[in-house]
Amino acid sequence: MIDVDLLVVGAGPAGLYAAYYAGFRGLRTAIIDSLPEPGGQISALYPEKMIYDIAGFPGVRGRELVAGLLAQAEAFSPAWLLGQSAHHLERLPDGRLRVHTIGGETVTTRSIVIAGGIGTFTPRPLPVGAEFLGRGVDYFVTDPSAYAGEHVLVVGGGDSALDWALTLEPIAESVTLAHRRPRFTAHQSSVARLHASSAIVRTPCVLHEVHGAESVERVVLRDTTGGELSELACTRVVAALGFTADLGPLRDWGLRIADRHIVVDSTMSTGVPGIYAAGDITDYPGKVRLISVGFGEAALAVNNAATAANPAAALFPGHSTETAA
Amino acid sequence: MPFFIAGDCLDVLDRSCTEECPVDCIYQGERKMYINPRECIDCGACEPVCPVSAITSDLRISEAEVPWRDDNAAFFAEPLPGRDEPLGSPGGAAKIGPVGADTPLAARTPV
Repeated sequence: MIDVDLLVVGAGPAGLYAAYYAGFRGLRTAIIDSLPEPGGQISALYPEKMIYDIAGFPGVRGRELVAGLLAQAEAFSPAWLLGQSAHHLERLPDGRLRVHTIGGETVTTRSIVIAGGIGTFTPRPLPVGAEFLGRGVDYFVTDPSAYAGEHVLVVGGGDSALDWALTLEPIAESVTLAHRRPRFTAHQSSVARLHASSAIVRTPCVLHEVHGAESVERVVLRDTTGGELSELACTRVVAALGFTADLGPLRDWGLRIADRHIVVDSTMSTGVPGIYAAGDITDYPGKVRLISVGFGEAALAVNNAATAANPAAALFPGHSTETAA
Repeated sequence: MPFFIAGDCLDVLDRSCTEECPVDCIYQGERKMYINPRECIDCGACEPVCPVSAITSDLRISEAEVPWRDDNAAFFAEPLPGRDEPLGSPGGAAKIGPVGADTPLAARTPV
């Protein structure tokens, strides 16, 4: 059981910045995200893209921005709940809130800032082999060293697929990457590195069958042009077919929702006591969905949540320059 | 109003775009696909995978494409032939499946 002053739901740019701000205000903070990796949409959809509209950065690569936000939030050591989904919300008799995660963890908190972006990301399922999930089939590579000595098949053509293929190539016994189209959507430099590596690239090619007793032992690939089938000795499959997003359980939290967004006022309050929102998920007249706006909303949400929870606290947090961490 | 699908999709319906869209906002009409402007999050994942380059951002729109941009919006905002209500924001194309109808512009445009 985790007991904090403020829980941030969502570890994308707005959520990470909210965690920093809450820490800066001296709030005990926890941050939860359904993905095992922080960074939200940036990490899931465009880690290699250059971003040009972050104040103070003429240009910053997605993954570098996430690394910076993480370091900033980490300065105040929030509790991390990555790979866990906030599910059920409960109001305690003393007015505090309790969030139950799908994994069975509970977080008791005075306030919540929902920085849920476009909702909970769910990996797009493999068309075949789902029965081997956790027994050789994975949607994320959390510990590359676990692939030592394995024959790995990575399925997909985006940045995650190529990142994982390149990460595992020096560790695994063999790496094959199959993509259903001849062209990759991943960054060109990653594609060039992949072709220069020892990884075997199969396109246009899909996973047709997965075989094994206890765990994956071999797979059958299908060339989508001619339809020929080919067998491959394979002990681990990494599926990187992208994500779908949905607001999911947040729909049942009693919030005002309009077109997948949470309606907030000028304090970023959802109208439900103690619950605030920030970033792409919010809606109000004049809303602009940009990271820079999300950062501002994160600061608004945290500072307003702090005074609502403790009326003696000032809304203005002081300047960060005066309180070197 | 973010990405939209122009007439190049007519009678192609490759649907690679739907495999990329993280919010499932690309709906199937009778002859072409349509992006729901209220559900699209502007991520651009669909654009590079279209085999006929029918997908464009409305920020890079040409004069000739304006009717197709408006047509994408009309698919959801106006009642389609044979329906009393507009589609609106169903919150996911997979939930409703192929719609089986087109906007007047798409229906009357020859290939």
